Amino acid sequence: MNLGERLDALMATVRGGKEAAYGQFLTEASHAIRNTLARRIGADADLEDLVQEVLIAVHDKRHTLDPGRPVLPWINAIAKYKLIDHWRKKGRSPIVLEDADDEVAADEFAGMDVAVLLDQLPEAQAEAIRLTHIEGLTGAEASERVGIGLSAMKLRVHRGMLRLKELVAEKE
Amino acid sequence: MMGRTEELITRLASEGAVPRGNMPQHFLLPLALVSAVCIGATALLLDNAFPTYHLRGWMPMVVKWGFSISLLLIASAALLLLGKPGRPSGWMLAALALPFAYTAYFVLPDLVLRTHPWPGEMWERCLLAMGIMSPIGFAGAIMAMRWLAPTNLRRAGLVAGFFGGAVAMTAYAPFCPGEGAVYLLAFYFAPIFAMAGIGWLAGPRLLRW
Repeated sequence: MNLGERLDALMATVRGGKEAAYGQFLTEASHAIRNTLARRIGADADLEDLVQEVLIAVHDKRHTLDPGRPVLPWINAIAKYKLIDHWRKKGRSPIVLEDADDEVAADEFAGMDVAVLLDQLPEAQAEAIRLTHIEGLTGAEASERVGIGLSAMKLRVHRGMLRLKELVAEKE
Repeated sequence: MMGRTEELITRLASEGAVPRGNMPQHFLLPLALVSAVCIGATALLLDNAFPTYHLRGWMPMVVKWGFSISLLLIASAALLLLGKPGRPSGWMLAALALPFAYTAYFVLPDLVLRTHPWPGEMWERCLLAMGIMSPIGFAGAIMAMRWLAPTNLRRAGLVAGFFGGAVAMTAYAPFCPGEGAVYLLAFYFAPIFAMAGIGWLAGPRLLRW
């Protein structure tokens, strides 16, 4: 079974009610995305950032995949779109965001000055975290306020939170 | 770095695989809403619907509504298709030419014979109605598209513009006494193409996701 067929089968399983297979679907999807992007940009430093961005887009826009349609062309189209968007953004504003992850439990910040930690983050990431985790805005509200897409906002939060996690680990 | 992607996958998987929202609510409702607002407001504000019926029967409406409603439906279908990544959409764009071909069949003879006076009655009101309602229809189409995932933003903006123009014409046509090929070209087709052109230009800005 090739990658495309595995993705089709996994999506059918997920839509058949086995939500547990969704993680495996996303893992296989990340391989497909990485293959597609690597063919276009090679082993670029931005490759993994882009893979993550496309994964978020695949997840956010999963309702645009019609039941029974092949998954791979759908993923490839999203990957290509995000790659073009990435090039456009880099052309206009060559800001390279830091890598990060946002799975940080609230108690990891216990006893720490969050404001000081946030000051050590790139402003875009710090702003994203302030809006979503301190002001309590939803991702959509925050992205609207900043004037960027929802996927970009999620990625900023994701990377900012991972950087915070690293900062916390360094202090311990 | 790979570990971070895996952590992201874990987080996304924890959000569940159930698709976000549903098509009637997020796609069809904005389209229906702007259509209803334009048609309802026009019917409330203007008197004397079908002003040429006593002279020419239903034929003018067969031409105008035949064009605008078919453009509305084809544009809606094209928007839906354009919002789904990986789906070929060229044939659907070509289908947008069908309403124009349909209208040409009826009005081309008039273009040669020029049987209707130019610019006709109340053309300013027609232009005003198209100018006010086309952007409203366009806004509904953009709202609907933002729920989807268009990957060709210029093309999606163009079709949203055609949809906006079609909504405006569908709403105003029953109150329009104007007829003839040149009238249709100047006061309906030109505004529709203008709205489509604006959509083509603004699509990348309005539809990025």
